Amino acid sequence: MKMIRAFIRPEKEQEVVLALEGAGFPSLTKIPVFGRGKQKGLTVGPVHYDELPKTMIMTVVSNEDTDRVINIIQDKARTGFIGDGKIFISPVESAYTVRTGEASL
Amino acid sequence: MKEITAIIRRDKLPETKKALEDLGYPSLTIQSVEGRGKQKGAMCAEMDSELPESFCTAVRLTPTPSSYALEHTLPKIALFVPKRLLTIVVPDDVVTKIVKSVVRVNQTGRAGDGKIFVSPIDGALRVRTGETDGEAIS
Repeated sequence: MKMIRAFIRPEKEQEVVLALEGAGFPSLTKIPVFGRGKQKGLTVGPVHYDELPKTMIMTVVSNEDTDRVINIIQDKARTGFIGDGKIFISPVESAYTVRTGEASL
Repeated sequence: MKEITAIIRRDKLPETKKALEDLGYPSLTIQSVEGRGKQKGAMCAEMDSELPESFCTAVRLTPTPSSYALEHTLPKIALFVPKRLLTIVVPDDVVTKIVKSVVRVNQTGRAGDGKIFVSPIDGALRVRTGETDGEAIS
């Protein structure tokens, strides 16, 4: 299993969520976060924004679904401009459903 | 070392903290998150385990088919359920014990109880003393 953490534009969140749902991955957790990237924030005229709001979407999927999910997120979250975000993938050894106590996704 | 990420109901947080304390692992990070699972967040009455039945019918939402919602650019609907996300980093040998205890405390038998993920952690460092790995989380 892999944990996918995608940092995307807040305004793209709904689109990404619905696309994932359509592809059969309805489960996810979202967290509003603030951060900056390579460009060290954003400068508009005299004002410098050091930390920009993003939405972190966290989802755990099986190994074979990882690429599909990443492609969907990338496809929907992309605008082609700086600040589209990043996707990180990390390993998950086991997942438990609290309701049943079973070790399954 | 393993990282245990548990997504649980908001009102179960004190009990979970108590249970972890009893096991001797009181350190944890708590985040307020929103999310959904297999039920697509439609059961928003399930966000707490003790909500009255009347509340349930008042706020029940029907899930929208995603393609339809995209085509018609429907207004944003509250599909997410507020939850608490706990992050605990513990040594390898106590992972099963902690997972069992968290499951026991949080189990109500209804959808929305949450998920627990266990993932490997490569290193740790205590900022105050500079201790690394095992010592840092003890």
